[in-house]
Parts: sequence; structure tokens; C-alpha cells
Amino acid sequence: MSEKRKYKKRFCKYCESKVDFMDYKEVGALRFSLSERYKIMPRRLTGNCKRHQDMITIVIKRARAAALVPYTVTRKQVVTAPFENLR
Amino acid sequence: MRHYENLVIVKPTFTAEEIQASIKAIEEVITSNGGEIATTQAMGMRKLAYPINKNERGYYHVIYYKIAPAAISEIERRFRINEDLIRFMTIKYDTNREIAAWAKLVEKAQRPASAQTKEPIEMAAIAFEAEEEE
Repeated sequence: MSEKRKYKKRFCKYCESKVDFMDYKEVGALRFSLSERYKIMPRRLTGNCKRHQDMITIVIKRARAAALVPYTVTRKQVVTAPFENLR
Repeated sequence: MRHYENLVIVKPTFTAEEIQASIKAIEEVITSNGGEIATTQAMGMRKLAYPINKNERGYYHVIYYKIAPAAISEIERRFRINEDLIRFMTIKYDTNREIAAWAKLVEKAQRPASAQTKEPIEMAAIAFEAEEEE
């Protein structure tokens, strides 16, 4: 319920800042569309438009392949190193 | 000629000279196949998000170049044989928008390191602010 309220206002953040291209190397910028377990957040929660959601999924998958962003985070990793890699 | 970007992760067990030597060999592979290297960007030794072949760290290096599409398979074959690399990734920049982004990335990589580090932090700050507003 609290999560629902958090994302109530729906607008595409990327449209607002007129993002044309995303770089997979800028991991900090991908943080918005990732959950705390590093899953890709669905559009219904973030409010991203279809175009930008497609872009960000491609970019996140690239960053995962390049070991910049983890595929999964186990409970142990969540506790010890939450976002260490983003700095 | 098409625009490409290649990310390579070199083994962390090497010394600094060995890393530089293997990177030079990698660039040699691209140029010998008729590629024009626009610029390179060393991201340095980083912690990997997950272990690859039991390596916890890796030396990241990004190469921006132009090459005929047919040569990519040969380059990837050579990279696959190369045991210095723990991971490589080839990215194609095809549409006009992507090519413009490629040019911007090249320009950014050529600027001094102080200007480079600023931008991602600003981006992150914007993202953080947007999150808070909601």
C-alpha cells in the first residue's frame, strides 16, 4: 500500500528531462528504474513511458552483462553491500 | 563503416604494465582489421557486480571505433580466444540518434578526467531529487 502511494503521481521522468540516449556506463542514472533487489521496475510503478522503458531495459541488460549492475542480489549481499558498486 | 563501442574487462591479477600491454594488443586487433579508433576510455580497476570466473575485480577499458560491419565477427573471435579478458561487450550504434550519442560519448571521453567525473554525479543527483519529490 505504501509502495502504491509512493508512485501515485505518474509522469515519465525521462521525458521531462528529455533523455534521448542512455549510457550503460552511468550506473547512477539507472538506479531509478531498479528495485532494491536490482530488478527492473515495472512501468506501472515508475510511470515511465513505453519508449523510455524500452530504452532503459536494454541499457540495464547491457550493464548487467558488463558486471556493472548485478543480475540478482541474495539476502546476504543486500545486507553487506547494498549499493557499493554505484559509487 | 559503422560506429561501435567495445568494453573489455582485463584480468585483475595482472600488473599495470601487463594490463597496458594486453590493452595495446586489443587495440591492435581492431586497427589491423581496418578499424579507426576514435578514442579510448580507461575506467580503471573496479569491483565487479558479481564474480566472473572467480574474479572479484576487473580492469575496465572502453574503446570507441569505426569499422566495417563484416570485421566484427573476426574481432569477436579474437577476443574470445584471448585469455587476458574475462568479459567483452560490443555495442553497435546504428541509427542517427545513436550515432550522435556516440559522438557525444567520444567527446566526453576525450575531455580531462575532472570534467568527466562531474556529469554522472549530477545525473544521479537529479534522479535522487525526482525520487524524493514523489
